[in-house]
Amino acid sequence: MDGSILESIGVEIIGVMSPVSICMLLVVLIVYSLTSFSSTSGEPIRTAANLVYLEAPTDSTSEKIEGSLLNALVFVILIAAVTFLLVLLYYYNFTNFLKNYMRFSAFFVLGVMGGSIFISIIRQFSIPIDAITCLILLFNFTVVGVLSIFAEGIPIPILLRQVYMVLLGIIVAAWFTNLPEWTTWTLLVALALYDLVAVLAPGGPLKILVELASSRDDELPALVYEARPTVSRNTRGSSFGLLVGGVSSDSVEVEMTRHNATGARNGDSDELMDNRDEAEETSPLVPTLRDRIRSSSSGGSEFSMGQTEIIENEEDLSPLAAILGMGNDRETQSRSRGIDEETTRGIKLGLGDFVFYSVLVGRAAMYDLMTVYACYLAIISGLGCTLILLSVFRQALPALPISIALGIMFYFLTRVLMEPFVVGTSTNLMMF
Amino acid sequence: MTLAAGIGYVLLALGPSLTLFVTVISTKPFLILTLLSSTLVWLISLIVLSGVWRVFLPLKTTAWWPYAILILTSIAFQEGLRLVLWRGYKKLEDMLDAFADRVAKPRLYLTDKMQIALAGGLGHGLAHAVFFCLSLLTPSFGPATFYVDKCSYAPFFLISAIISLAFVTIHTFSMVIAFNGYAEGNKSDQMIVPFLHLIAGTLTLVNLVSGGCIVGIPLLYMVAFSTLAYCGKMVWRRLTENQIRLTHQNQ
Repeated sequence: MDGSILESIGVEIIGVMSPVSICMLLVVLIVYSLTSFSSTSGEPIRTAANLVYLEAPTDSTSEKIEGSLLNALVFVILIAAVTFLLVLLYYYNFTNFLKNYMRFSAFFVLGVMGGSIFISIIRQFSIPIDAITCLILLFNFTVVGVLSIFAEGIPIPILLRQVYMVLLGIIVAAWFTNLPEWTTWTLLVALALYDLVAVLAPGGPLKILVELASSRDDELPALVYEARPTVSRNTRGSSFGLLVGGVSSDSVEVEMTRHNATGARNGDSDELMDNRDEAEETSPLVPTLRDRIRSSSSGGSEFSMGQTEIIENEEDLSPLAAILGMGNDRETQSRSRGIDEETTRGIKLGLGDFVFYSVLVGRAAMYDLMTVYACYLAIISGLGCTLILLSVFRQALPALPISIALGIMFYFLTRVLMEPFVVGTSTNLMMF
Repeated sequence: MTLAAGIGYVLLALGPSLTLFVTVISTKPFLILTLLSSTLVWLISLIVLSGVWRVFLPLKTTAWWPYAILILTSIAFQEGLRLVLWRGYKKLEDMLDAFADRVAKPRLYLTDKMQIALAGGLGHGLAHAVFFCLSLLTPSFGPATFYVDKCSYAPFFLISAIISLAFVTIHTFSMVIAFNGYAEGNKSDQMIVPFLHLIAGTLTLVNLVSGGCIVGIPLLYMVAFSTLAYCGKMVWRRLTENQIRLTHQNQ
């Protein structure tokens, strides 16, 4: 049967939304299963995100607001500085350095931060596993992850790469949920604003980075999730297009120093972990549309739903051939798939978006399940709006602002308005 | 043990919708998007309603009439919303058809339209179950359970899961009935949807009486099953009519 158009519309949007959903779900699960553990040990952690002010429950509200604002400011300045540094390095063609730095940071995130999360999971559920096996498994896990993230010349399945991207997002997000409440909110707002500026303002670091990368026909030196549908579905001539996205990253320096103050728990008292790791990038959904997006808008301007995903254009493999020197894995991908099949480059979403969406949802999970659902829906719809805007503006767009704004709004609306209403009616067993 | 119970409650409330989601919705990305947006619309409607009612809550009285007003206004608001949704859907359908013409694909089939309606309805139902049942389930994963005075035959979570299942069914299929009714201009189909919703809503008022849930829940399930039966009958009629028309055209 000649499939109806319902099957072909929205493939790309779902391709982005499903990993984001998986990421959020897993972060919420981790937060749920680990909160009891970490709340009892109650170690304050100091990271780059709360360098200035360490929130204590006893502080007054104004102190908290002031301190968290300062924290957010410092954090954003740090990110901006690191991003500019990255752009500078990229501008002067230190690509190899950047890639190795990314590898190193991925190694660090997967190995150390991921490792500590695994250890707390193992403790929480009392999984019987000995240290040596655990180390070997962790090492293998990490090495495969590092290889898959920037594979050069190795044909790594795209699925594996996507899985590791999501894992990186989960790990970093799970760490960020350790931040105190007020700091988290101001940080999210500040990052959303920063994202807006960095991607859209002329001279914004991410904008420069994306433009540089697209002028060089290069991949962005960043941790970016690619939603790449394997084959285009449209078998008749008109191909789905290459929605070339690039998301830049700026890696953030997050310094996590974990003072395990009360640490008598498992004998690792006064453990001081100095994790100097990069984290992620606050990044935008930055598709640089190299190819013409032809959307003959006969359906009127509102027809964005259909056009976001279905973008017709010619296939264009030539820029790929130009980057032989890079040993681009994308090329091997397209080769292995056969040249005459249209390659579809999916929308790219920065890992930072994964992280901060999940941070928001994870923070919501500490309050109640209701806020989790509300925030999830808000974030996903914000992402949908961003993708629709993407098809309208056809340039790199920040993915954080709309989603974060909606998410925070829905969080507080749910918490303040909806919860008493719903709890009040449903504990009386009344529904409608 | 409590974890198993919690998962059991979730599956009880959402099992059928999960099946529907996996078999019908998840294969078609557009339907997933429809589902998500309809869930969001329902959430927004709930927030608006609770914003209005926030001033009066929590109700201190044991009288039933404030609750009756609450339920009536909520149902009226949501049925109004269904009309708005229908307008939106109408536009969407035109766009999809125009788009299908442009890429030289067949226009929306009747079954496609019904699937969109189903996805929309399932979104409403899911949102209902999520906010009225699932979000209250957190304590059920803990070491204890909770009984309501008015209905102490079973744990509160179990009862709310059972009621949610009925409402998920009603929401899901009444959307199909309503959209079909609007499309055909069939007055009886259009009217039966608010009617069913109203009856279901008022039936939950019975739960206010001590021990009322013994009567209320079976009645609620009767409403749910009649919705299901009505929807099934209507879809069957439409499909057979359509089949006959198609074969006539082919001859």
